[in-house]
Amino acid sequence: MTVDMSQFYEVFFDEAEELLAEAEHLLLGIDVESPDVEQLNAIFRAAHSIKGGAATFGFMDMTEITHVLENLLDKIRKNEMALTTEHVDAFLAAKDVIKMQVDGHRHGSDVNAEQVSDVAMMLKSLSEGKAAVAAEPVVVAASAEAAPAATPAATAAAEVAKTALTITAEEKAKGMTLYDVGLPTVTEKDLANLKDELALLGDVEVYQRSENVHAVLIKTDSSADDIVSICSFIVDADALVIQVAGDAASEPAATPAEAATAAALVEAAPAAEAGYGFFDNDPIIKTETKADDGRVQVAEEMGYGLFASNGEEQQEEGYGFFAPFKPHPDAPKAQMIGDDNAAAAMAKAKAEAVATPAEAAPKEERRQQGRRETDKPAAAQSAESTSIRVGIEKVDQLINLVGELVITQAMIEQRVNALDPVDNEALINSVSQLTRNTRDLQESVMSIRMMPMDFVFSRFPRMVRDLAGKLGKKVEFVTSGATTELDKSLIERIVDPLTHLVRNSVDHGIEKPEVRREMGKPESGTLTLSAAHKGGSIVIEVTDDGGGLNRDRILAKAASNGLPVNESMTDNEVFSLIFAPGFSTAEVVTDVSGRGVGMDVVKRNITSMGGHIEIRSALGYGTTISISLPLTLAILDGMSVSLGKSVYVVPLNLIVETLQPRAEDLKTVTGEGLMVHVRGEYLPIIALHALFNHPTQITTPTDGVLLILEADGKKSALFVDRLVGQQQVVIKSLETNFKRIPGVSGATIMGDGSVALILDVPAIIQMGQTTNYVTGGMAFSNQNYLTSQNTINA
Amino acid sequence: MSTSTEMSNSLSGNAGNGLKTAAGEYLTFVLGSEQYGIEILKVQEIRGYDAVTQIANMPSFIKGVINLRGKIVPIVDLRIKFNLGKVEYNEFTVVIILNLNGRIVGIVVDGVSDVRELREEHLREVPSLVTRIDTKYIVGLATIEQEMLILVDIDKLMTSDEMQLMEAAVH
Repeated sequence: MTVDMSQFYEVFFDEAEELLAEAEHLLLGIDVESPDVEQLNAIFRAAHSIKGGAATFGFMDMTEITHVLENLLDKIRKNEMALTTEHVDAFLAAKDVIKMQVDGHRHGSDVNAEQVSDVAMMLKSLSEGKAAVAAEPVVVAASAEAAPAATPAATAAAEVAKTALTITAEEKAKGMTLYDVGLPTVTEKDLANLKDELALLGDVEVYQRSENVHAVLIKTDSSADDIVSICSFIVDADALVIQVAGDAASEPAATPAEAATAAALVEAAPAAEAGYGFFDNDPIIKTETKADDGRVQVAEEMGYGLFASNGEEQQEEGYGFFAPFKPHPDAPKAQMIGDDNAAAAMAKAKAEAVATPAEAAPKEERRQQGRRETDKPAAAQSAESTSIRVGIEKVDQLINLVGELVITQAMIEQRVNALDPVDNEALINSVSQLTRNTRDLQESVMSIRMMPMDFVFSRFPRMVRDLAGKLGKKVEFVTSGATTELDKSLIERIVDPLTHLVRNSVDHGIEKPEVRREMGKPESGTLTLSAAHKGGSIVIEVTDDGGGLNRDRILAKAASNGLPVNESMTDNEVFSLIFAPGFSTAEVVTDVSGRGVGMDVVKRNITSMGGHIEIRSALGYGTTISISLPLTLAILDGMSVSLGKSVYVVPLNLIVETLQPRAEDLKTVTGEGLMVHVRGEYLPIIALHALFNHPTQITTPTDGVLLILEADGKKSALFVDRLVGQQQVVIKSLETNFKRIPGVSGATIMGDGSVALILDVPAIIQMGQTTNYVTGGMAFSNQNYLTSQNTINA
Repeated sequence: MSTSTEMSNSLSGNAGNGLKTAAGEYLTFVLGSEQYGIEILKVQEIRGYDAVTQIANMPSFIKGVINLRGKIVPIVDLRIKFNLGKVEYNEFTVVIILNLNGRIVGIVVDGVSDVRELREEHLREVPSLVTRIDTKYIVGLATIEQEMLILVDIDKLMTSDEMQLMEAAVH
């Protein structure tokens, strides 16, 4: 019976990465002075889960490091040790190492063994450093019971040997161990379940120690940890007492071989008087047997029932079972060979546990919750994650289908609206119901792809911290609007540009502490990362209170780079120059330096996502770089406008206002270059019919409508026939079956099933500047458009 | 259908070799007074001509785009491109929707006639000619009931720069 574990690897890797990210997030957020116990617990749980998974899959390198990490965390968690920044650094380093190991296993990338052992050493020394002193005040509940067991131990061993499972020397040589597992009070049903579960590990024998107190003898080649993890689904793992019964049992048993053959399922004699502790014999839990006599007495009298009443200490200490984890050397081998039934069964049991994380996780959660409720009812449980993993292509397919449905629904609606409302009242009502349902459905489906910006933001605190440390700067990192949601594909694509901007801000924006002091600013600079919804788009801003951009220097640099610049350019235009590829050389003027490094790439990325980028800066006060992105790539809030017999869609977020111009507001230069005078500004008029060579009756701006558009910091007035209406449209690519068309960013399907083109506003503004309206505007051509764009960008 | 794999080889275009592999089933259609044939496997469907959304600054034979069950598909009028037949759009105007390696394109023709199975012996090579349609896009000629059938390598033709249906190749 072999189980292919590799099919579950991906699940483990995904989970490990999530857990690591979560742990890092918590670590960065932790207050070293007075750490929140809940946070420490959460970090501990993350480490523990990774360890468990790694052990299951036989990634022993990961198990080792998570093990030491867990030990140290455990001590801090139990207040045996005070948390210091040193610890946090060590934990972060450990997180990096584990991530490296995960990548190593997952992608076969290199794992720096030296770094791994360095971190392991660091954790170990930190953990040992103060452990001896700190361990004293905490009484170990589990081991407390162990001490008095010295005398009854022999008796118990004899009982066990006589009546229950025994273990032979040969079996021991094969790595089998006989464990005696003391259980807390459990129901009959749980006991039966437990027995079934444990049977997967090896031979199991349940016997009664006293009324309501049961124990299990189990002969297995799995480690004590495996037993604990199996049991933990049914009973509180902290209340288990696991001992190695084999050593004691085999000696008094006169004929071990006979006993073994007869062992099968003989009714076990109650071994209540045996007490619960064999801890002296136990190689696994040896570290915890130092106990204070007074407390032991109490614990002993109270028996197993005391777990709840003894409260937190015990509960917390319970994790001690996990701590001295000893990976079973044979486990991975046995799984591979598959000749050992027990090992294979265990592998299967674990595989099942991993294969159904959705099922297992809540169970685990419930277990913890239940326990916490008895211990610390007030403790807030960290948000339970109940999620399923679905392939992105399935989601996309769903979104496409819903898109189709919306179009079809709109078509039906349109047809129905043409009917007589009196005769067809019922039909019309049903259709309007359908309309609402479809909208809701569309919204829900679209939200599947939405992810909070936190997904991106959470990686920056660490980067800023490291970078500031390296540069000798003090930076306070603030985020806001981390819950703002954005399409997953955009989230993934925004990471790189944003990383670049944040790094630039720390590197070049925020000054060194001494400089800041001289300027009368607080030594510590503030870097703010914010996200917010604004109209139909999301605006992400990177703000620093650093030196700001120096307009004169940018102009000088641009001039020396041969860019077309002049003194009268607006600040916005000047700052946009840093996006020019020419600025991305390393030795640009110091206080603007780096602002240009790769900024052209940033801009290109943002533009390709359908967004735009803007800079606001004041010399000496700081810089804000503002990125505005559409919420999703698939849906656009649009204004449909008519031109002749066609309908075009203009992205709503780029429309500043719409107006019908008065004749006296229309101005020309040399009888050409028509402009409109709006609120003190002269804006060029771009006639869409001329630009697109589209026949229409309306050729005078006063007869039509002007849409004031703004993109890339430039405003223009687009002249069209009429406004048709505002609506959300599903963006369809023209390039799938056709090609890119200048001035058109895509197409959409309107309510009547016809195709409408979506205007590419930035391109149209550019095109408008190369097109002569009065002379018919056909100077425009594809070639022309490209060159004009180049000169402007260059 | 056994010939389908060889048929795709006819893309190699060399008329000499192409003849052997060009055998197979062809959809024949009419442009003006001439009969043309294209590989049946390139054809996705045949539909009537309805509202097309015009696209700015395109050559006249690119009629625009239509909504084909949610997909945006460009429509080319081969009659305009090759200056054949009377260009009018009525209920008899036919659009052949082609699927060329996943790219969907519609072509407007005067009418669809038949599906013909052509064997090697039907096929003739194209002589060197100067025509509106470059002979490199013609796989061969065939004679069926005294009529000449012009077999077009529609894949090669539609993806050529000449048709302007694709992004100009970047060199």
